[in-house]
Amino acid sequence: MNNLNGIKDKIQLSRRNFLVGSVGASLLMAFSVLPGKSMAENAKKALAGKIFSPNVWFEINERGEVLINIAKAEIGQHIGTALARIVADELGADWSKVRIVHVDTDPKWGYMVTGGSWSVFHSFTPLSQAGAAGRIALLEAGAVLLGKNGNECEVINGYVKCGEKSISFGDIVSKGQFNRIFTVEELAALPIKSGKNRQFIGKDTMALDIPSKTNGTAKYGIDVEVDGMVYARPIVPPSRYGNSITKVNDKKAVNIPGYLGYEILNDPSETLQGWVCVLATSYYSAIKAGDAIVVSYKKSPATKVSEEQIQIEGEKLTRDKNAGNLFVDDGNVEQATLEAKINLEASYRTASLLHFPLEPVNATVEFIDDVCHIHTGNQWQSLTMPLIAKALNVTQEKIVMHQYYLGGGFGRRLFGDYIIPAVLTAKAYGKPIKMVFTREDDSRFSPPRSPSVQLFNASVDAKNNVTGIEHAFAAGWPTLSMAPQFMFESLDKKGKIDPFSSNGADHWYTLDNHRVRAINNKLAQDTFLPGWLRSVGPGWLCWGVESFMDEIAIATNKDPIDFRLSLLDGRGKNAGTAPVSNHGALRLANVLKKVRSQSNWGGELGENEGMGVAITYGQERTMPTWIACVAHVHVNKSNGKVTVKKLSLTVDCGTVIHPDGALAQVEGGVLWGLSLALHEGNEIKKGQISKTNLDTYTPLRMGDVPELDIQFIESDEISVGLGEPGVVTVAPAIANAIAQATGVRLRSLPMRPDDIIQFLKERESNKIG
Amino acid sequence: MIEFILNGKKVSTKVPDDTPLLWVIRDEFHLKGTKFGCGISMCGACTVHIDGDPVRACKYPVKLVNKKQITTIEGLNNEHPLQEAWIKEQVPQCGYCQSGQIMQAATLLASNKDPSEKEIVAHMSNNLCRCMAYSRIKKAIKTAANSTSETVSIFDPALNGQKEI
Repeated sequence: MNNLNGIKDKIQLSRRNFLVGSVGASLLMAFSVLPGKSMAENAKKALAGKIFSPNVWFEINERGEVLINIAKAEIGQHIGTALARIVADELGADWSKVRIVHVDTDPKWGYMVTGGSWSVFHSFTPLSQAGAAGRIALLEAGAVLLGKNGNECEVINGYVKCGEKSISFGDIVSKGQFNRIFTVEELAALPIKSGKNRQFIGKDTMALDIPSKTNGTAKYGIDVEVDGMVYARPIVPPSRYGNSITKVNDKKAVNIPGYLGYEILNDPSETLQGWVCVLATSYYSAIKAGDAIVVSYKKSPATKVSEEQIQIEGEKLTRDKNAGNLFVDDGNVEQATLEAKINLEASYRTASLLHFPLEPVNATVEFIDDVCHIHTGNQWQSLTMPLIAKALNVTQEKIVMHQYYLGGGFGRRLFGDYIIPAVLTAKAYGKPIKMVFTREDDSRFSPPRSPSVQLFNASVDAKNNVTGIEHAFAAGWPTLSMAPQFMFESLDKKGKIDPFSSNGADHWYTLDNHRVRAINNKLAQDTFLPGWLRSVGPGWLCWGVESFMDEIAIATNKDPIDFRLSLLDGRGKNAGTAPVSNHGALRLANVLKKVRSQSNWGGELGENEGMGVAITYGQERTMPTWIACVAHVHVNKSNGKVTVKKLSLTVDCGTVIHPDGALAQVEGGVLWGLSLALHEGNEIKKGQISKTNLDTYTPLRMGDVPELDIQFIESDEISVGLGEPGVVTVAPAIANAIAQATGVRLRSLPMRPDDIIQFLKERESNKIG
Repeated sequence: MIEFILNGKKVSTKVPDDTPLLWVIRDEFHLKGTKFGCGISMCGACTVHIDGDPVRACKYPVKLVNKKQITTIEGLNNEHPLQEAWIKEQVPQCGYCQSGQIMQAATLLASNKDPSEKEIVAHMSNNLCRCMAYSRIKKAIKTAANSTSETVSIFDPALNGQKEI
């Protein structure tokens, strides 16, 4: 099941020595550029020559300020605060003297990606070790300056204290000379604090990025200005691929004050197919010119494809036993089906969705001395840089991406496709440009979450026990189009699978017979670019898995929580692996039991009210975040309106680093889940999503927010991800609650009032019939 | 030429008079705290005050602000109780909508010193927060309201250039 090793090897800082050395007036600490012993022998020299390649490093200056460099994108998760707390805790720093800096794309920062809910999980150990190594180096140097033995001293709050005497980090840095290397083995042996000794981890703090976000000073990509720039707006073609321009007529644009003309963009990377952009001296003029210019295309066949056609193809594929590749294959599902007393079948759908980050995508570009400087916000620089290099036909050394705050990411800014029109326009026009997509441009170009179909078949034996489940699902695969190097070989060796479109199906329920087929829906793939959207595969796969689990519980007359607990026994592959998934499915059982009492499951409910449950292990088996959710809903049977009264969640994410930040991530995630469940859905028409702005696309607003009760399990286990998992359980928990309240089983996301009315009408006419 | 008062300073612009106020504020006067979100007055990220009323700058032609007083997030000068409450309650996630949220909320507290839950929701429900920090926005508005027993007037240059908070 460990299907993400390829990417993790790139990201993780394993097997690197750690350097501590005086450089200029500061003390620099960093992982060496080369793994193992082949590194430079002299820490000072290596650091001064910038021969280091960490995702993390930090420095302490003569004033004792600790400057921690953050190579992760700030997308609202306060990641800099969490990572800095990890370093500062082990270092023994004075928190009031800690500063963070978001860095550019210099190769020294190593592999750069912010996604997958990985940042804390991947950074915790190396950051703790780096902090501990820094502490030891400071302690030893401080002891020498105080004329004491190291073992008489300790590091507290930015000081080395030896009995009565003490010296500050700042004084140690200015008076001492450091030149030290910690080997991989030494680093691994450093004592890392246990829970009760921690000073910052798990303790409340204020996020460092928040004050600037209350007074307008936080700088986002869209806020950048460079000297001599002109404004640009793209003309987005009628579908993603295969449109070619036959004619451009800007007769109606030429009289717009400030209009400077247009450029037809030729993109060697083929990310853009059939693109024009307009230029103007102000952005408003660019907007008007974009509305006025007429671009004619030889249209792609994709412009005739609808969402329904894609879904019909998905239905067909999930019913074709030869389609797709094996992702899970335990026991013998055929045998279980033959021996079953009852066979259950259900098919679930999800509609296309948009990320809709509130800051429209944009980039400001200028060429300085042959180097392309890009100002923007991006989540996966290491994926985007090679793409830009290809589009510009230069090497990556000729490109620097300067990072700013991201006005929402949610996975949209993992792929830097929106940067390509900006760099090509700047190159063609020969001046710095600022390209901003209007909201409608942004929506039409955005890679939506693919529509999906999943088919389940369950076997139940004479003793009323589930003996096997077969699961097949079809969707467009983001990774296939954007990062195919991270696909992995299927169990039947028939081909490759997108891990981000199948995680969620390899769940922790013990089933003797379990088969899962992952199917790429080629019609979806060819029509649009499927996007990685917050919670990715689990976001839609768990909708099917957890709805179907409820259907089995109902069919076998079992309480939905008891039924799930009976399958969460932690046997075999579900026992878990230390340290990442220590105790395995038993931790999932634990959060499920906790949420049962937390939500008053089984308590008295009002008329037309119901409670539904769902669980998830987050984004992947190799980084499980254990969550259970109970939704309490009311259904208005006359108009089909669903009111979510309360969502109760119990979360086990191991060690919590920044408690309030963790809570904020889950709060936001849960409301995202609610919004996707009831308020969004953006059907593809003529090859493109159909709702481009808020007059038709209607994410959750304040009035729809239910009571939230989110509780974390206190734990010393390894820290895992939190950015996405909160999203996952909400939709199936609501569907299961609706079923309990009314008997209506909804199998399509988003859940619409009309679907409920339709179901009730059909039931009524069946009764009469 | 269109003249108006921007955060207490008299300014003028020569842009075409149908230009939305948003672009004048952001690109001519370089006040970047007011954001572009949807461009159709439906997300609230561009909310500013015109003579004390909340207005969506993305659709508001600059010709209509002649001789009027405009306040942007920068004009609150970090002194509005909402800004303190926003930090206390740790409201922002990505933060992109928050200037607009604060400006919208400020007009509520200017007329209602102790808004109820319902009044807050009614006043704020046209401001989208895509990170969905809604619970904290609500809480921070209550916190700010509780921090003072008076309504909170917003910068009004008509009052002898004095600021009343």
